[in-house]
Amino acid sequence: MLDLLPQLILSGVTIGSIYALVALGFVLIYSVTGILNFAQGEFSMLSALLCATLLSWHLPLGLAALCAVAAVCAIGALTERLAIQPAFGGHPLTLIIITFGVSMAFRGIALMLWGADPYTIPEFTPGPALVVLGGVLVRQAMWAVGLTVAVVAALFVFFVRTVPGAAVRACADNAFASRLVGISPRRMSLLAFTLSAGLAAVAGIVITPITGATYDMGLSLGLKGFVAAVIGGLTSAPAAVVGAYLVGIIEALTTGYLSPGYGTAITFLVLLIVLFLQREGLLHGAQRRQA
Amino acid sequence: MTRERVALGLLALVIVALPFAVSTAYAFNVLNIIGLYAIVTLGLILLGCSGQISLGQAAFYGLGAYASALLSRDLGWTPWITIPLAIVAVGGVAYVVGLPTLRLAEHFFVLATVGFGIIVNVLMVQLLPVTGGGNGLRDIPPLQIAGVRLVTDRQFYYPIWALTFGTLILARNITSHRTGRALRAILSSEVGAAALGIDVPRYKMEVFVLSAAYAALAGALYAHYIRFISPSPFSLLASLFFLIMAAVGGLTNIWGGLFGAALVTVLDQVIRAEVPRVFPRVGGEYQTAIYGVLLVLIMIFFPRGIVRGALDLRRALSGRSPATQAPRADAEPAEEGRA
Repeated sequence: MLDLLPQLILSGVTIGSIYALVALGFVLIYSVTGILNFAQGEFSMLSALLCATLLSWHLPLGLAALCAVAAVCAIGALTERLAIQPAFGGHPLTLIIITFGVSMAFRGIALMLWGADPYTIPEFTPGPALVVLGGVLVRQAMWAVGLTVAVVAALFVFFVRTVPGAAVRACADNAFASRLVGISPRRMSLLAFTLSAGLAAVAGIVITPITGATYDMGLSLGLKGFVAAVIGGLTSAPAAVVGAYLVGIIEALTTGYLSPGYGTAITFLVLLIVLFLQREGLLHGAQRRQA
Repeated sequence: MTRERVALGLLALVIVALPFAVSTAYAFNVLNIIGLYAIVTLGLILLGCSGQISLGQAAFYGLGAYASALLSRDLGWTPWITIPLAIVAVGGVAYVVGLPTLRLAEHFFVLATVGFGIIVNVLMVQLLPVTGGGNGLRDIPPLQIAGVRLVTDRQFYYPIWALTFGTLILARNITSHRTGRALRAILSSEVGAAALGIDVPRYKMEVFVLSAAYAALAGALYAHYIRFISPSPFSLLASLFFLIMAAVGGLTNIWGGLFGAALVTVLDQVIRAEVPRVFPRVGGEYQTAIYGVLLVLIMIFFPRGIVRGALDLRRALSGRSPATQAPRADAEPAEEGRA
């Protein structure tokens, strides 16, 4: 039983890194706009499938990945402009339903374009798996963890050191006051959606060499990232990253010790428990309604 | 009120007369499915009247189906007993689920119902000895009336639509009397409603349990009608499907529920028949693309449902009414300045 533990924790950390990227996107959009974007996972799916297609056109991996991420950022911006913006200021439930609709639309379109077959991307640096702390770690897992750390660091620099980053934080803090000093909440909302789509896109491409990519991968990825974000309180980026690793490890342990099928159920049980225990999330929601 | 009575009478007439106008088993099948979905959607709309949205309706629908199927198949009880039992049991489940979840702020409540729905669906797949897993349950006993086993689509038409009609009247009575006024007050402001002496938690719980009971009734009927159930029709996708029906009809409009269920079911049949011709190699849930776009468009342009939305539009075009300028019930006062 215990021999399995290091292995399970390693795979939990790997998948947790991916959830972290998706969760950060949730936090970003929620803090700036108060919207829970359920289409988040679909951005990962789109980028993974786009990247696989570009690779099949014999583009080098780096270029293909960059093009896919850029394209998905554009799709994120377009989503915000076409689906979210027209209903801006509507009831929060209206906006949630819209993001569910967007997610369904993307899934269906992907199924029409790519079919139901799984696609794959080769490992970024092929080679034999590494043995770490008594567990086997595929090289791609290092990429997943490393890239997540790099992206989180880059985000940190963006938010703390740059003027647009400060504007986003101001808008998240108080949209009304930031409008008074000339920051457009609408433009910040667009920025948040673009950035979140980019984060999810990176996650989708990094995980594909390990799990493969299918048109329906986005739903579970998005929901797990969302659980991670809620565990973190929905407005704190570092807490969301911690939450993501927690979700990844819980999922890996359930899969290893209980049954693969129960992984999702346990994750959502954790979500429900966190929702019931957490007054902070509820409080934040109440404040936002008044704002 | 009288106009609504006339509408109810007309509806009853149409329900009674329809079997004489259609003949194929396929048409009866579609009509029966519309009836079942209408019951679920009515429950969702009752919930919507209290300002809540649930994405766990498919779980209640499925629990009703599994409960009644298991009780009647394995214990040999008649479906006439197991269907009410299933409804009561699912109502109990909804009560237990509602105790912690209904205290959550609105969008966290939606998430809790998503989580609940997914957990129930996973259990349906995983609890092999009880639910039969992905293979589902076969040989569910049919309903019997006076010794006649109801096995064809045509025979099932009247029982289903009688119950749909009954649930419509119940929903209409609830929303047009004291409870309905209380729910409308809660919809516009929970704090305001509480200040007027309305027991907000109690009303929200009652309407949540009732909506689950509606879904369970439809689910139990479905189990004895199709006589085979598996976890796939009770997934998150199904919950979204019900939500689309409610959104098409207008999330707080009882008559809209019937309209939404009919329109979306017919649309679904058309899409299933037509899309393979355009995209021949595609199978599975491709229709989600169309539903997704539909849902987005409705929520942007007709957040109060297509019927009311169209009425508003006509008024706006004829230019005689300031009513279109009246604040939307679901819009926040905060509006954005131009960037």
